[in-house]
Order: sequence, then structure tokens, then C-alpha cells
Amino acid sequence: MDIKELRGLIKLVTDTDITEFELENADEKIVIKRGTQPEIVHVQAPAAAVVAAAPAAPAIPAAAPAAAPASADAPAPIVGETINSPIVGTFYRKPSPEAEFFVKEGDVVEAGQTVCLVEAMKMFNEIEAEFKCKIVEILKDDTAPVEFGDPLFRVEKI
Amino acid sequence: MTTSTTREFNLLNLLRNGSGGWISGAELSRQLGISRAAVWKQIEQLRQEGFRIEAQKSKGYRLLAMPEELTEAALTMGQVLPIVGRRVITLGKTDSTNLQAATLGAEGEAEGTVVFADSQSAGKGRRGRTWCSPPGTNLYLSLLLRPAIAPWDAPQLTFLSAVAAARALRNVSRLPITVKWPNDLLVNGRKVAGMLNEMQAESEQVGWVVLGIGINVNMRREQFPEDLRYPATSLALEVGEDVSRLAIARELLAELDRAYAVYLRDGFAPIRSAWLELFPFVDRLVEISGAGETVSGRVTGVDGDGALLLVDDRGKELRILSGDVRPL
Repeated sequence: MDIKELRGLIKLVTDTDITEFELENADEKIVIKRGTQPEIVHVQAPAAAVVAAAPAAPAIPAAAPAAAPASADAPAPIVGETINSPIVGTFYRKPSPEAEFFVKEGDVVEAGQTVCLVEAMKMFNEIEAEFKCKIVEILKDDTAPVEFGDPLFRVEKI
Repeated sequence: MTTSTTREFNLLNLLRNGSGGWISGAELSRQLGISRAAVWKQIEQLRQEGFRIEAQKSKGYRLLAMPEELTEAALTMGQVLPIVGRRVITLGKTDSTNLQAATLGAEGEAEGTVVFADSQSAGKGRRGRTWCSPPGTNLYLSLLLRPAIAPWDAPQLTFLSAVAAARALRNVSRLPITVKWPNDLLVNGRKVAGMLNEMQAESEQVGWVVLGIGINVNMRREQFPEDLRYPATSLALEVGEDVSRLAIARELLAELDRAYAVYLRDGFAPIRSAWLELFPFVDRLVEISGAGETVSGRVTGVDGDGALLLVDDRGKELRILSGDVRPL
């Protein structure tokens, strides 16, 4: 399903009173949930299925399934490899407010190195790089709320 | 054995041999060949290690109780613990039981292992804070679990350990225990236990979860740090007498095991409702800080994921996933 079809689907669902919508076939799984929160769309698909406009999207690495969020107003897709949030929570770039950042833009990190924390309800998840890579862009601010599957870092595999 | 611990050992022997229990400071000073100020300093050291020593101006010192030993046998003897406490590791002083349990998790340790320590040099609090962990007086433990759940469901376990610990504390101390979202335990509005959890996950599967629990059991008023962020207490301070660490720890293992069995069988719903019964903050005004901007509002409840729901003064609904809650 491409972004246009996804948009159409979201509109179709949000025009009704449906609060949750799930569609699954051999290739992809789409979940649309709505409520008092901003509408959140989770898309899960095998790596080959293109979820954004990125041509032949590479497998999305790190601790998240090949997933990309899209809101009803479809933000610009992130091209390239990303490290994504495996849970909904609060994104921390430092182990404590006084500490140094785990990583900065331009840093090269080893496989297994901690790049950030995501916390929800006092459950802390240390997110590690799955392979040696360069941190090209940090996509969220320290202490920002993040959704499941949100890209946190754009990285370049080394 | 260092000189100072040899001296403490001698002091302990003198205290144990004192007629009628009491031995004067002057007598201790003479027998040990040290000043009375040095005797007092050593008495303080022994108290820090969990010895209960009474002091009275006219009579001197008296040994009331030895520190209660936490051993694997004492913790598990006679208990039926299918998962939690299948293996119990008791450490003297360690850096942090969470760190120890996480290391075991990374090494492939089976679930159910519990690491206890008598004291911690780097007990973990939220966001790099330390959990005050003196020896001989409190409980510090971490439980390693490997539930077959997705990472986004793992925060549910925060509520599981809060419910189990609240039950254990209530069963042994008979005190009214409440929870402050998500998992601090309170007695009369003061914090008596804190919990911090960590997880490691692959894309759609939790690898391991460590549930860390710290309980102020017999901590005395002067042992609390001065810069506490939230008013704190201990079970002993609330009950008015010492509480058995061992009794609390044994009950806690049993309650954790029970709650985990319920969670594996019936999911989060029964854990969430048990937690809600302990939560007195609905309809109260609270402030949330420590995770981005500080917000405040009236508590309306907790949603199906465990997130705290608030309504702010403009009627806007807020969904809180992390932060420190303080009643206003």
C-alpha cells in the first residue's frame, strides 16, 4: 500500500465512528487507532513493502520492526536507515539530566552501543545500535514523547 | 580483617558479655584502650551495619539485636515458588542489584532469579538518581523475568511489582499501603518503597526485564538523606518497632510469584484493577515533572496501558507516560 492509498484509508476510517481499524494480509498489517489522542497510525510490514516514498526502503534496523508511523497529515518521510522506538514513551538522550549525551550527530557508534533511553511507566529501555553506524541526524529532542515505531536517529551503516 | 573491624568485633563481644545487657562507655573505653569518643564512633558504625544498640546516659550501651541475615535458605525455605525465587542470590555490598540482574539477563540466566543485596553503592533511582541503600536495615532486590510479550507491553510489569510489593508490605506490617503512579508505595503519604525497571528487547519480543525494588524497612530518621525529593518513611517508623526484613522478603517473593502467574494466565487487566484499588489519587490535583515540561491537572484515571490520565485547568486531556507525580 502506498502513501496515497494509506491516506485514503485513514480518511475512510476517520470519516466514520470507528475507533480502531485493523487490516492484515500476507504482505502487511495496518492498524489505525483513534480516540482523544492525536490519531496514530501504526504500519507493520515486511521490509520489502514500501511504507513511505523512499525508493526500495532498506530494512529498518535496530530495536523496532519494520515500521513507520504516519499521521493523518502525513509528515515528510524519512529516507534511509533509522533507529526506531520499540515502545511508546519518553525519549532521553542522556542517562541523567546532568550527564553527557549518549551520542551526538556525527558520532560513530559500535554495534551494541547505547544510543538513548525510552521510558514508559518507569520501565527503561536502553536502545542500542544493531550495527556499527554513523549518527547522521537526531530526529527527536531530549525528553520528547515518542510513539511506537517513531524514527529516533537517522544513521548511516558503516 | 582490618584494625577497625577487629576493634568493632571486640566491641561487639564486650557488648554481648555486658552484665544485664548494659556496659558503660567508660568501661568500653578502658577495655578497648580507646577514647570514649572513639567508642561512640564505633557504636555508630555498628548501627549503620544493622546492629540495634541502645544508649542511655546513666547506663551506657546495650546490644538489642544482631542484623537479620538474608540467606537463600532463609528466604526460600518452605516456600513453593514455581517461578519467582527459583534461584535466589544474596550479596553483601554490591553496586546495584538491577545492574547485577541485568548482567545475568544478558548472560542468559533463566527467569525467576532474584538478586538481593544487603547494601548498594549505586542503587538506581529514576533518571540517574541514587536510591539510598545503607546496610543491615532495608531490602534491595531485583527480579529477572523473560515474559513472552512485546516490548510495548513491558511497562505493564511496573504495575505488577507495585501490586505485589504493596500486598507483601500490608500483609506483614498491617499498614495501609497506597501507590503513587506508577509504582512508588506510600504509607500516610510518605514514600516507603520505590521501584525501577529495565528491559532489553528485540524488535517484537522482550529479551529480559529486570524489576528493581527498594523497601525502607527499618531505616531510622537520621539515615534518610537530607535532599529527598519526596517525603519518605520506613515501615519501622510507621509501625513503631522493628519489622523483620526476612518476613517482608519472603512474603514479597510469594506475592511476586502469585502476581506473575496471574499476569501470564490472565494478562494485564487483573493487575491493573488490583493496582487501581491501591491508588487514592483519582480526582486529586497533581503535578508531573522530570520528563520534559512540568504539567499539572486533575487525575481522571489510568488507561489500559497504565498511562496516567489528567485533565488540565483548560479542560484538555493529558496522557502521561513518565514523570514524577506530586500531589498539589
